[in-house]
Amino acid sequence: MILYVWKTQQLGIKTFEHLYMVFITLIIVIVIGISIGIFIYKKQNLSNIILNFLNVIETVPELALLVILIPLFGIGIKPTLVASVLYSILPIARNTYVGLTNVDFQYIEIARAIGLSDKEILWKVRIPLALPLLAAGIRIAIVFTMGVVTLGGLIAAGGLGGPIQTGIHLYDKNIILVTGLWIGILAVLLDSIGNFFETLLRKRYGQ
Amino acid sequence: MAISKKLFNKIDCVKIEKVTKKYGHTIAVNQVSLEIRGGELLILLGPSGCGKTTLLRTINRLVEIDEGRILINGKDNRDFDPVILRKNIGYVIQQIGLFPHMTVRENIGLVPKLEGWSEAQITQKVKELLEIVSLPPEKFINRRPKELSGGQQQRIGLARAMVMDPSLLLMDEPFGALDPILRKQLQEEFIKIKERLNRTIIFVTHDIEEAFRLGDRIAILKEGKLIQLAKKNELLVNPADDFIADIVDSKKKFKHLENLTASDIMIPLDKKYFFTSDSSTDSVIEGMVREDIELGIIMQSEKFLGYVKLQDLYQKNDKNLKHFIKQSMVFKPLDSIALALSMMKEKNEFIAIVADEKPIGVLLGNEILSRLI
Repeated sequence: MILYVWKTQQLGIKTFEHLYMVFITLIIVIVIGISIGIFIYKKQNLSNIILNFLNVIETVPELALLVILIPLFGIGIKPTLVASVLYSILPIARNTYVGLTNVDFQYIEIARAIGLSDKEILWKVRIPLALPLLAAGIRIAIVFTMGVVTLGGLIAAGGLGGPIQTGIHLYDKNIILVTGLWIGILAVLLDSIGNFFETLLRKRYGQ
Repeated sequence: MAISKKLFNKIDCVKIEKVTKKYGHTIAVNQVSLEIRGGELLILLGPSGCGKTTLLRTINRLVEIDEGRILINGKDNRDFDPVILRKNIGYVIQQIGLFPHMTVRENIGLVPKLEGWSEAQITQKVKELLEIVSLPPEKFINRRPKELSGGQQQRIGLARAMVMDPSLLLMDEPFGALDPILRKQLQEEFIKIKERLNRTIIFVTHDIEEAFRLGDRIAILKEGKLIQLAKKNELLVNPADDFIADIVDSKKKFKHLENLTASDIMIPLDKKYFFTSDSSTDSVIEGMVREDIELGIIMQSEKFLGYVKLQDLYQKNDKNLKHFIKQSMVFKPLDSIALALSMMKEKNEFIAIVADEKPIGVLLGNEILSRLI
């Protein structure tokens, strides 16, 4: 049954599409998220406004966000990517910001005392010590992105959301079950990889 | 990368003139004037909250002063760029603050790297400094702070402070957080380093014994004010007021010196200091690093054989612990302290063991006491 579903629904190629979208989203969101995190660390008075704004985006239900984006980006991959990016900026930006601001003060103090400039302190001390938290943020983003990309199947983005759609339309329990489980396994796998890196960073950079 | 210039090759004097620092309504440092002479080790001594740390931090401008001025070799320290000023002044603190994400080499070599030194230059300098703080370079250069005991970390902290060859060193209770025996060992070692390097050092402590052991002159502060600045002998003989007399304790504690015994003055030994003579050298090193001590008492069943020092154990790869054992003077708990200390002084021994049936404590050379005897 599993093999049958896998073949008829072309789960191999769908998985590839799915992971491709997740991967693209992550690259974009990591760049944007970290930049926003560093930006609001430098302009602390803006941090509340920006984090609140990202929070508002976060509270819009995923499905609603996808639908809102259709008039702007049409259907397919584009609105799905935009939605996943919007969704995943918050955990990364917030964790970057918290990581940078919460570095144990003794390290900042000694860095100043031995003659590092503010910029050097940011790059040599704050950012490395914020990496474990940043990795945790990326892990959350991975899980979010998996969810949104799956929903993208509803608006013809391809990926593993497609077969689920088909399953629902045909009322075929097997398709839904196999694809659903497969998405679940993928999500857990990706999260474990993230967890592995986070633990590694924590060991290396943990305070 | 611009290479910061060396601001002073030698310190002639650091003049603190009527310096005041306020935090809101609290006055942390109140109209303090004092002069640090080139080449001396000046102690800032006083209870916590007396302003000694704040005063220290005004010198490299970690704290900006409200009134007065600080002249280094005649130049106001506010005329220097703070980042360049701090590169020219070594700084060591109690919490050490080694960066956990960097190896020993990266920690010590951080500022040189930012200054554009070559990798080879950095490695050479780091090795040289590790030798000075008696950590074998090949064993320690690539370790991370987590893999070091507190005493080893503080040695690295000292090496980091010296990496740019600053002619002025600021030290804020560097040995304050260490085990009492280890603290004395490091003080002893520091005295040797200090003589070798011949720097001007300003050293903050609240430990009177440390002040007397290390200082050339001692400045005593209370509630933000300088009470007395004098050579150590003068402080003992001529305390400016009761507060100082109290601090140096010259009245009470040593009045009945002749009645004190070794057990009154010794630092008691607990279980962590004891190792058996059949242990391997590596297991003893591991045990000492774990317990953050650098002195071990070696026993063969119930018999006391001698002591080992962590530094010695690192020096050569020898599995046989017995080759590292040092003999020491042994006193009975009820022996007179005056006798014990004068015998130690005569033999130039820093460590002696106090033992009844088995060792119960350690006597370390005691500056104040031996002066009074």
